[in-house]
Amino acid sequence: MDRIVVEWVVILFLFTLFIGLVAPISGVGGGVLFVPLATAFSPFSIDFIRGAGLIMALTSALSSSPYLIKKGLANAKIMFPLVIVSNVTAIIGGIVGLWITNVFPLGEAYFTIALGGVLFLVFVVMITSKRVEFPEVKKVDAFSKKLSLSGTWYEPSLNRTIDYETTNLPLGLVCFGAVGFVAGMFGMGAGWASVPVLNLIMGAPIKVSVATSMSIIAVNSAAASWVYMAKGAILPFICIPSVIGITIGARIGAKLATRIKPLFVKYLVMGIMLFAAILDILKGLSGLSIV
Amino acid sequence: MSEKEIRIDPVSLVFAKVMKIGTWVGLTIMVVCGLLYLVGISPYLDTSSMAKHWGEPAAEFWKNMKGTEVNDYSWFLSHLNSMDSLSMVGISFLALTPLISVILIIPRAKKIYAILLSILVAEFIFCILRPLI
Repeated sequence: MDRIVVEWVVILFLFTLFIGLVAPISGVGGGVLFVPLATAFSPFSIDFIRGAGLIMALTSALSSSPYLIKKGLANAKIMFPLVIVSNVTAIIGGIVGLWITNVFPLGEAYFTIALGGVLFLVFVVMITSKRVEFPEVKKVDAFSKKLSLSGTWYEPSLNRTIDYETTNLPLGLVCFGAVGFVAGMFGMGAGWASVPVLNLIMGAPIKVSVATSMSIIAVNSAAASWVYMAKGAILPFICIPSVIGITIGARIGAKLATRIKPLFVKYLVMGIMLFAAILDILKGLSGLSIV
Repeated sequence: MSEKEIRIDPVSLVFAKVMKIGTWVGLTIMVVCGLLYLVGISPYLDTSSMAKHWGEPAAEFWKNMKGTEVNDYSWFLSHLNSMDSLSMVGISFLALTPLISVILIIPRAKKIYAILLSILVAEFIFCILRPLI
């Protein structure tokens, strides 16, 4: 194997190990850091980076979902109606994303600028959105009532079970349509968008929102992966070191989360995201020969 | 009520169990074959020449690496004697896992959920078969 290839396997492993370490502590998924940073710094085409980002999101979400469902935190009843919409838009997002970069001569440059824009959006969402631990649901809409979108889980910090119900399913479906499109197009899990929708719009408790969002990511990234596979945009050479790195990093990160200050790591990650957003926009503009 | 006494919907539990098994199978195939590929055992895509083309969009990459156009899954399904192709089989299995989990819970689900899940299955199948149509 060439030296440059070995070097990039090691770099990808160490880079994703770092992402795995900081992502669980800061409350963002790995894809939202991997895709923009790899686009800015690595020599790989954005097609392969998005493909690897999706596989990373898929493996992380699939690994954690069964445990979260068994604990009663991830609610499959809430997930199913939402993924019917977000699955379709994730597939469309994947198709549109690969079409832009492969058909237009300057497609990669436009796409890199759009990625920087999305990252700014993530940054704004992280600064402005509040997390409500136990939102109060005053009125349940007819669709949520019909589908019995409610649940129970045991909260160890309170030593009791918590019953909850959710509402605003029609608005939730519209929002998840947009979330799925972004996830498929940019190769991200998009938990940063789905958690606020579940928590603030549909009224699910924050722990349920985070856990249910993981199950939604598993289904959406699985569907979008087929689009990338059919276009040869998933390369084991990039996926394997990245998946191993993020998996090991996330396990260490989950243990470290109890010892270090999450606020410091959150600001660190937000700083990295802002930096990556600026770099992506500059790289895109340079591809268009504007800067 | 303790943690053990919480009643989780049996359909959700089956969904979780199938997902867990599928994930282990898919991850094992993907990682084991992927690592063998990375140490140079029977590759389909030669890593030495890959560096020249990995910056190109997917369509151009395949044209320059293999002289082909990729529009379906034959690029890895036709080369199952290569470790990178086998690693892709593992990835495909992971991407199939949610679909298999959903199919297996349909008979156990309430009517309204069975309808929703059937729509989800149809979406998945269309997405997988779309390149072959």
